[in-house]
Amino acid sequence: MASTAAQPPSVVVPQGEKRTRDLRANRTVLLIIPAAFIFIVFFVAPVAVMLAMAFNPSEVGLVGFSLNDLTLETFVRFFQKQLYWGSLLRSVWLAVLAAAIALVLGYPLAYLVAKEQRPGRANLYMILILASMQLDLIIRMYGFMILLGDQGLINDTLMRTGLISGPLPLMYNTLGVVIGMVQLALPFMILSLIGVIQGINPSLEEAARSLGASPWKTFFSITFPMSMPGVMAGSLLVFAIAIGSYAVPVLMGGWRVVVMPMHIYQQVNEVGNWRFGAAIACILFAVSLAVVFVYHRYTEKYMGGLA
Amino acid sequence: MSDAGAVVAELIPPEQGGKKRREDGIDAPEIPLLFRIIATITFIYLLLPVVIVVLSGLNSGNYLTFPPEGLSLRWVQAFLTSDVFLPAYLFSLRLAFSVMIVSTLFGTMAAIFLTRVSFPGRNFVRAFFMAPLLLPGLVLGLALYVYYLNVPFFGLSRTFGGMLIGHLLVTMPFVIGTVSAALYGFDRSLEEAARSLGANPFKAFMSITLPNIKSGITAGALFAFIVSFGQFDLSLMLSTPNNTPLPFAMYNSLRYQFEPTAAAAGVFAIALVVVSMVLTARITNLSSFGGIKFS
Repeated sequence: MASTAAQPPSVVVPQGEKRTRDLRANRTVLLIIPAAFIFIVFFVAPVAVMLAMAFNPSEVGLVGFSLNDLTLETFVRFFQKQLYWGSLLRSVWLAVLAAAIALVLGYPLAYLVAKEQRPGRANLYMILILASMQLDLIIRMYGFMILLGDQGLINDTLMRTGLISGPLPLMYNTLGVVIGMVQLALPFMILSLIGVIQGINPSLEEAARSLGASPWKTFFSITFPMSMPGVMAGSLLVFAIAIGSYAVPVLMGGWRVVVMPMHIYQQVNEVGNWRFGAAIACILFAVSLAVVFVYHRYTEKYMGGLA
Repeated sequence: MSDAGAVVAELIPPEQGGKKRREDGIDAPEIPLLFRIIATITFIYLLLPVVIVVLSGLNSGNYLTFPPEGLSLRWVQAFLTSDVFLPAYLFSLRLAFSVMIVSTLFGTMAAIFLTRVSFPGRNFVRAFFMAPLLLPGLVLGLALYVYYLNVPFFGLSRTFGGMLIGHLLVTMPFVIGTVSAALYGFDRSLEEAARSLGANPFKAFMSITLPNIKSGITAGALFAFIVSFGQFDLSLMLSTPNNTPLPFAMYNSLRYQFEPTAAAAGVFAIALVVVSMVLTARITNLSSFGGIKFS
């Protein structure tokens, strides 16, 4: 929309005016320079170095990289050992599960906030959602640990009242990790959805209702399909956040649910095998990128770039 | 006169009537009951851990039990005299504040460029600036750590500046997103009008555009502050004994035991977030947070 508005006009511009316009455009470039500098020097270059390192033969204790000694050794090692590729499958599966649960839990809340007519109430909802998202992740996981741990609030209360004899396995397992991941990523899902749901013209829903559709039918044939861009964007974001999280599986899974980021940390900080750690990191990043790519293809093909 | 009064009375039902209608779901757009139930569960799910941490931090016993033993400020006091958590809290505050200033400034500049200047590959560049959000924090931390060691020229290895740069990469996408959204919503002809009335570009921007995109900038700044304050995975790779942010200090203590002092530190972090949220809500429209597009 704005890009068409900013297209250079096709009318012939007098020479002097053209020059000032060019000059102004040149000066505008200054605006992007600080951000571009930071992103190229401290994002593109480090990722490139890490990529190069991942293709060097693994060697404990070596942080340097060389462009002369490239091999696929680290990647072969990753896909040969079930310990490693198994964690990749587990990571993907947990992230998909987290995205699905976050959608089911997040959509109704986003809908409620988007349809809220009273501005004060809508603002309160937004404050609560944003506050929950912006609170330090470690603090939130700490809260879950107090609540769900073996001597946590729930187990302690249930055992003291004699309802159960031993602690229920509420965390330090896959359940705990999923609970943590969804909590971490849910606000991003909700925020992605609110704007899209608000953007749906309410008269479309009203029209469906007045033609005799039930509220549920209206929802599934009008509202939900029209909010697909938000659904896709939110799911993608939840997936990316969940698959990359290190702290959540460590704290909520107690090292029993081994995912990719834990292997990275272990290789780097405990084994000292930086190159193999870099290879695992590259695979993790490649998976995230692949998901984004598939997502873009999908949205372009089926939604005409709505998202 | 009386007719008009009757019409008004019909339009504005008395307070009780209004409530009743709302419950029927006629006044507000109808929201299925199931949605309300799930939304309530989601709210509880989102906020429960926060409530639990606040309770533990203000609890008088060593462990949080149900029902709580009683209120006490002993853990708050322990936090305020702690030589681990208090310095970590202050360090996080200093880092987040620096990140907020730099990120908001550079991010806003970039957003203006990306929304106003059209050039080939603009969408690609825009996606490029969102990319750090897709890179897991631990991976970015590893890449930066290795890079700083391999490129000693910058002298950033294990420094405050090195960490600041890492935080800039993960906060700037938020600023660019919120400010771009605000700029798209802004009618540019207002600025052009100011220009045609003789204001120079800088003046037109400062007096017309800036006030109009203020809420987007505020939202971006708040995001930058709080994303930096709560950043963990990145700090895991970049922090050093002298540069320990609060999440990292809390993580270190939590790995071995439950320490209510950490919960008290958490209470202070929560207070910081709530205060900044309420302040932001007063000066800006929170719906601008919905304007972020991540892809």
